[in-house]
Amino acid sequence: MATSMKYIATFICRVSPSISHSVRQYQSRLQRLPARTCLSLSPFIHPRHSYCKAASLQDEAVAQATEALARYKDRPWDYLESEEYIERYGSSPVWADYRRNHKGGIPPQKTRKTCIRGDKICGNPCPICRDPNIIIHHQNVKLLQQFISPHTGMVLDSTRTGVCMKQQKQLNEAINTAQDHGLLSFQIPYVEFSGEDYSNSHDAVGSTPPPPSLTLGDNWYKWYGEILPDENEVAKVKKKYKAYLK
Amino acid sequence: MRKQQTNKGDFILIFVELCKHTTYPMITWGRGFTSKVERSCRTDEVITKMAALGTARCLLRSCSGVKNVQRSKQILMRSGARTFCSETQDKAATDHAKPQFTDSAVQDILTRITSLDLQKVYRPIKQELKPPTYKLMTDEQLEQAVELAKEQAKKLLQMPPVLPERKPISDVLCEDKILDGMDTAKYAFTDITYNIPHRERFIVVREPNGTLRKATWEERDRLIQVYFPKEGRKLTAPLLFKEENLKLVFSQDRHEDVLDLCLVQFEPDSSEYIKIHTATYEDLDKHGKYDLLRSTRHFGGMAWYLVNTRRVDGLIVDMLKRELLHDAVSLVSLFHMVHPHSESAREAASQQATGTDLLKIYAQRDSQRSGYIELALQAYEQTAVEGSAS
Repeated sequence: MATSMKYIATFICRVSPSISHSVRQYQSRLQRLPARTCLSLSPFIHPRHSYCKAASLQDEAVAQATEALARYKDRPWDYLESEEYIERYGSSPVWADYRRNHKGGIPPQKTRKTCIRGDKICGNPCPICRDPNIIIHHQNVKLLQQFISPHTGMVLDSTRTGVCMKQQKQLNEAINTAQDHGLLSFQIPYVEFSGEDYSNSHDAVGSTPPPPSLTLGDNWYKWYGEILPDENEVAKVKKKYKAYLK
Repeated sequence: MRKQQTNKGDFILIFVELCKHTTYPMITWGRGFTSKVERSCRTDEVITKMAALGTARCLLRSCSGVKNVQRSKQILMRSGARTFCSETQDKAATDHAKPQFTDSAVQDILTRITSLDLQKVYRPIKQELKPPTYKLMTDEQLEQAVELAKEQAKKLLQMPPVLPERKPISDVLCEDKILDGMDTAKYAFTDITYNIPHRERFIVVREPNGTLRKATWEERDRLIQVYFPKEGRKLTAPLLFKEENLKLVFSQDRHEDVLDLCLVQFEPDSSEYIKIHTATYEDLDKHGKYDLLRSTRHFGGMAWYLVNTRRVDGLIVDMLKRELLHDAVSLVSLFHMVHPHSESAREAASQQATGTDLLKIYAQRDSQRSGYIELALQAYEQTAVEGSAS
């Protein structure tokens, strides 16, 4: 419990140095807590007392973590300029120090489906899931560039970088949109232009004059207009079916 | 054109006199030389001598591929055919044969200006990597390989076509009012026969109100991409071609990528193609970044656009900065070819100027940045004098 508290406290220290002083105060109080509880006479009170304090501290830590997430949500590319990023990764790519855990020498050809299911995060999460500040966005060009091979210009496979399949899919989509918007450069195929006729003289694309009957203002088909029946024909038919007519 | 039937039974088309109307050569892009002879000329006179007929026929056949009508006329004149000349003969060709992009003279000049930088044409591109191959060659074989590479580079630097904007298709084939309201959607019928060129493919659309019309150009392009997908082309145009994204890309100096993508995505006579090319050339001209396109297939198109809009100054200044005097001279001669009625063109024609004199005349007459051009010319002459002296 104390160790997890310490971890969260150090995390908070790293994230927001401005309140690290107050956190250190909390930390010192935390460390003093067990000693105080040992000395106190009522054992059943002090756990509740410490748990209360610990719970409130945990809530605060979670709140501060979400605040950090929200900070980079609108401008994810700011994180790659920040000190904590440089301290954690330096100039090497985000996936450089990640190692997958698998049995045997040859890793499975597909990485895991996803690292985060609901609230639970797996053990040894992939390079993108383990750092909540890394957000895949099509404008976050520096991050996307880390996942593209500098020699071939193709997206690196997940077996190489270690990212989970869900993040790999998001990466592919982000890289495609970035290339679409022109933020990332890519190799464009060469187009041959010889052997094409651009005169547009064929009937398929040229203009065909309408038939002369239409230009006179007539209907397209003769029977669209008024059709008057032939009197003789009508009389013949009437005579034939006289028995059935009223 | 009047057809003259000889006793052999052949039909020969003879041109002796050019008409006053412009002659539009058939744009047979890349189809090579066929037996097509130019149409739309009216001849009034006919050569009656059989010998003259024979020579004229041979000469015409030999220059059937040439789009410049002037030359054929001059050859005929020289062959001694008896013609009944009228006064308008001389003025006709020079006034009305506006040089087209496809003319061989124009293409020559543009290829010369584009130059051939093997390092830039064969710069490494990002592609699937293979293990390298090593070849042991003698010096001769190496030279041959370099020659082959130069030929291949010339093919790669082939200029994409510059065409006028295509006219919209709005032909109604049928109006079946009986089908009005039968369905809520349009039906597009495409002919997917494999062996026909896309420009001869029939694509028609049945509207919900019953009219059967030919598909518009945009619909045609989209449907042909659906049934015959082309590599690199997308159904919806990349968002790179929107204004804001274009600005960003231009600020990154990636004009060549934009033009390549435009070639892949759009047809050469579509409005978007022309708009994007215009925007790119304008941006290049504004910032003077002509060198980005030098030794690529787009340089010729850019030079042609600048010459047609009479804004060659920036390009000439850039050439003089890089000490490409011959290129500058050829550019000015192209300008005179395209605008023969401009002051500098007339003065150059009267003085029969060549070389640096052309540049001087242009700088004095038509240029807006004459000061710089004259300075550069003086500097060049000084260095030339020093070089000859030492």
